[in-house]
Amino acid sequence: MRKLLALLLTVMMILTMAPAAMAEAADPIVVTVFRGDPGDQPTEDNKIYKLIEEEFGITFEIEFLAGDLDETLGTKFAGEDYPDLFDAGNSAEKAIQAGALIDLLPYISEEKTPNLWNHIKDLLPQLVNENGELFIIPNYGINYNAQIQNACNGPAFFIQKQVLAWAGYPQIKTLNEYFDLIEKYIAANPTNANGAAYEGFAILCEDWRHFCLINPVQHLMGRPNDGEVIINVNSGNWETETFIDKPYAKAYYAKLNEVYNKGLINPDTFVMTYDQYIAKLSSGTVLGMFDQTWDFGTATAALETAGMYENTYIALPLVYDEEYGYGVIEEHYLNGAVPNKDRGFGISVNCEYPERMIDLFENLLSDKWQKILQWGIEGEDYYVENGRMLMTEEQYKNRQDAAWKMANTALTIWESAPKKQGTQDDGNAWAHSDQAENYFNLMSDYDKEFLTAYGYKKPADFFNAPIELAPYGEAWQIDKSPIQDDYDKYLLIQDQWLPKVIMSANQAELDANWDAFVAEITPYAQIYTEFMQAEVLKLVEQATK
Amino acid sequence: MMIGASRKTAQRPLSSGKKLFRKLWAQKYLMLMSVPVLLYVMLFNYYPLWGWRYAFQNLDLSTIKKGAAWIGWGNFEWLFKEKLFWLGFRNTLAMSLINLVFGTTSSVLLAILLNEVNTRAFKRTVQTVTYLPHFLSMVIVVGMAQNMFVTDGPVNGILMKLGIVDAPVWWLGEGRYFWWLVGIINVWKEVGWNSIIYISTMASIDPTLYEAASIDGAGRFQRILNVTLPGIKSTFVVLLIMNIGHLMEAGFEIQYLLGNKQVYDFSQTLDIFVLEFGIQNNKYGRAIAAGMFKSVVGIILLFGANFVAKRLDEETLL
Amino acid sequence: MTAVPQEKRKPKRRDIVFPLVNGFILCVLMFITLFPVLNTVAISFNDGIDAVRGGIGLWPRVFSAEAYRTLLSDKLTYNAFGISVARTVITTLLNIFFTSMLAFALSRKEYILRKFITLAVVLTMYVNAGLIPNFLLIHRTLKLSKSFWVYIIPTMFSCFNMIVIRTYIIGLPDALVESARIDGANDLRIFWQIIFPLCTPVLATVALFVAVGSWNQWFDTQLYNGSKKYLHTLQYLLKMKLATSMNTTNAANTSVDALVNSGATKSTPVTVRCAITVVSALPILIVYPFLQRYFVTGMVLGGVKG
Repeated sequence: MRKLLALLLTVMMILTMAPAAMAEAADPIVVTVFRGDPGDQPTEDNKIYKLIEEEFGITFEIEFLAGDLDETLGTKFAGEDYPDLFDAGNSAEKAIQAGALIDLLPYISEEKTPNLWNHIKDLLPQLVNENGELFIIPNYGINYNAQIQNACNGPAFFIQKQVLAWAGYPQIKTLNEYFDLIEKYIAANPTNANGAAYEGFAILCEDWRHFCLINPVQHLMGRPNDGEVIINVNSGNWETETFIDKPYAKAYYAKLNEVYNKGLINPDTFVMTYDQYIAKLSSGTVLGMFDQTWDFGTATAALETAGMYENTYIALPLVYDEEYGYGVIEEHYLNGAVPNKDRGFGISVNCEYPERMIDLFENLLSDKWQKILQWGIEGEDYYVENGRMLMTEEQYKNRQDAAWKMANTALTIWESAPKKQGTQDDGNAWAHSDQAENYFNLMSDYDKEFLTAYGYKKPADFFNAPIELAPYGEAWQIDKSPIQDDYDKYLLIQDQWLPKVIMSANQAELDANWDAFVAEITPYAQIYTEFMQAEVLKLVEQATK
Repeated sequence: MMIGASRKTAQRPLSSGKKLFRKLWAQKYLMLMSVPVLLYVMLFNYYPLWGWRYAFQNLDLSTIKKGAAWIGWGNFEWLFKEKLFWLGFRNTLAMSLINLVFGTTSSVLLAILLNEVNTRAFKRTVQTVTYLPHFLSMVIVVGMAQNMFVTDGPVNGILMKLGIVDAPVWWLGEGRYFWWLVGIINVWKEVGWNSIIYISTMASIDPTLYEAASIDGAGRFQRILNVTLPGIKSTFVVLLIMNIGHLMEAGFEIQYLLGNKQVYDFSQTLDIFVLEFGIQNNKYGRAIAAGMFKSVVGIILLFGANFVAKRLDEETLL
Repeated sequence: MTAVPQEKRKPKRRDIVFPLVNGFILCVLMFITLFPVLNTVAISFNDGIDAVRGGIGLWPRVFSAEAYRTLLSDKLTYNAFGISVARTVITTLLNIFFTSMLAFALSRKEYILRKFITLAVVLTMYVNAGLIPNFLLIHRTLKLSKSFWVYIIPTMFSCFNMIVIRTYIIGLPDALVESARIDGANDLRIFWQIIFPLCTPVLATVALFVAVGSWNQWFDTQLYNGSKKYLHTLQYLLKMKLATSMNTTNAANTSVDALVNSGATKSTPVTVRCAITVVSALPILIVYPFLQRYFVTGMVLGGVKG
């Protein structure tokens, strides 16, 4: 009797389990997500997430970064407390090092996941590590067909449009022209209409975002973004050198010092957190800064939502004036498309259903879903006319509204997920904002007038055309963990000394501070230079093989 | 207790294993009440000491899973060459010393002032008010300090009105102010609380001493000088020595919450060094070495202080 | 008391001047103590946009309860309040229970293990493994992170308080225990029915210490439960707000115009931070006056022995 019962039970168990295993793909699951950036939760009745839930049975529980990135990651590594989808932001190398992510290559193949395969197959040699493993599919920088560059999305000097408008739309090409204009503007308009004082120039120094402080010099010298080094791409030997300890860097910080002593820089800028920086930019009281466009997207959105278009920023490709003594410098801010290696979602070792995550990425990379993610629902968020995807003014406005986006887009997932950029096979742009018709026709009247005054169609017209991407890519992507300690020091010394240099009271103090800075950083700069030189050569060799 | 035990064995020279067992059995409830707590202490206070072995291993992010290798004194060698470590050490000592001096003098002063108050209700009110900040969390206190010390805050406002400074001072952004700011905030938070012990010591001073002093024609200040201060001397010395034993504890929260990159050279303490290297940079071995160094120096200071206290024939710590 | 001989003294001129000066100094001190607290309350009740312009004293300039409305419209606030209350109550009860139990056992002179356990426990006041070993213990060995119990389990016992309670128990008449033992009561009953109730004053003190410590804790949330927003405590919410609204110079530039223009809520990070400060300090401010008479005794007991 007992045996019979046991048998019966076993049979029943098999019967109940078998269909469960077969229907696994549709089982509703909750996927935990970590995003290594601060952000806002999507609304609960978000339209796109609802679609994803219906089709894939997946809902997301998203954790945004609150506080220090490395400390937050540190607690995750110690407890091996990993979300299913893990975007460790700017410290993603650490997640790989900690063994938190699974190798994705075994899940990706031409047959099983054609979309993903097509997405990365050409870049695979660049993306995999020495052991041939792939942990993260880049979140940005993989273009289909022609790359579209309407605006500079990377580093540049920024200035509020109203400043240029006030001065009669001058061409600002050099550092001195830029600061002269800001100075003149503040002298004429010390406060805005509400009586809040303008701040001439802001420098974000928080954590890894200190690139706003330490990166500009290479661009002033006419190079695209190689992080903390300048590489000679013309000699054929790829000589790599740090620039921050060179006299041509001192010129920039001396200029900032001059600007600081004129009261155009608030000392608070050196201790500002990222949130405070965004709040300040959103207030429209900061006239200029060096940054990268994506870094202050929320501030731009806030300004646009508030209709403060005159306070939004235009990117300018500044170089040193001839009088600095480095000749006439040709600017090269825009670079060829570079895949954002090691940035974006990885799947953690704690994830119980890696296949379904891959399946999700695979499906989201399909043309159908890419349109939903980047354009929305046809008829609701855009319409099609003569094969062109277009938007009404209202639809376009919605796309700039932060609150609307939380309810009607899957931005929070999309930002870290693999995505198609560039041009669709039918000639439409993948990103709604890249679509030529939308871009100019639907831009605010203010922006239209602004560009027209310059005789331009798009903000990128301020820039030279992108140059060809160097064979090593962009050097900032090189993983520095082998020299982590020295690299950390190298950065810390800059974080500590450069503000001091900028805040020097007079020329003598400035010289003393600069010399002390150079003396302290030189040994680390040497280590860093040697390391980067070797890595660059390795990458060049790899690319030319 | 030792005496009691030995006396008992002396009374019963024939005490055997059986007797011991009987005694243990009789005390089973006492054991029930104490052994679990002992085990708890073993787990939460002694077991982590076993983690000190990592101070001699290259434990970091990549080795924590695979297992770290022994590297001898490598972490310590690195530590003693590290500028940031010595900076942290300096800042820890500096802020402790400032706390010690400010904290002790301010609470003795407050106790003396309160001791001279004859109106009971007033004394009580002052005490109630000044004890209060002790119970507020450091997060709250730092938030309030932030409100007070921002450049356009009340502190600069008052200083400028009094003509002490003519432009707002950047209190929170300049390194050289940081130690003193921490000292002031700590005094604000703890002066009332720390004065309790002195007030109660003063209350136990024999009143006839004051009477005698008065008859000798001593004024109020002389009475304070000749009766009150000698009356609290022993308490003062004991507390001072105990505090010297805690010199490695400069507090962690206040520096962590109030510090920023601009004042980093002055705000970074050993605790923050450990946090940065251990949790943010995942160099567990090095961070544990730094923590171990701090603990060992702390233990030496504590036992040293205890030893001195004993030599001075005051009450001991244990 | 000290007042007796002073009354007998002949009143001199100095004796009128001194109390006045003394009283004045103490009043200034009280003002300095209370000002930041009242200032925070005032800012929390001020209009957010107006508050960022600074210069608020003891009274709101433009009254508004918007900061509290913002705070109380977020269900995470209630959740955090609940977690804070729960951790404080549970920790306090368990800590008092275990600590006083050990204190009783170690107060029994005849207890064989007394010396050993006392030494083992007291040594922990000297030897501390440090942050990282404890961090690894909680995260890796015990796997307590991401749970409510990480607030409770590591704080169930405190050595300093044990010494305070033990000193108090030793001060009780021995005859109490002896006569109970003759009546046949075992140690458990003696502790629970005789000693424990008699310890009420000292236990109240210790409970206050433990409760305040637990209520004010935020670092454990940051280290162990940062990723679990439903386990965040009030103090941790406040700490996060502090990090995002901390300025070293005037705050006047913060997003005021964006808020004005977008017609968004009229609370700003600064006023919300002050409102959380008030909410998280309120329970302590309410309970504190009632327990004041206890903790002075406790402090003296601990100070002498600790």
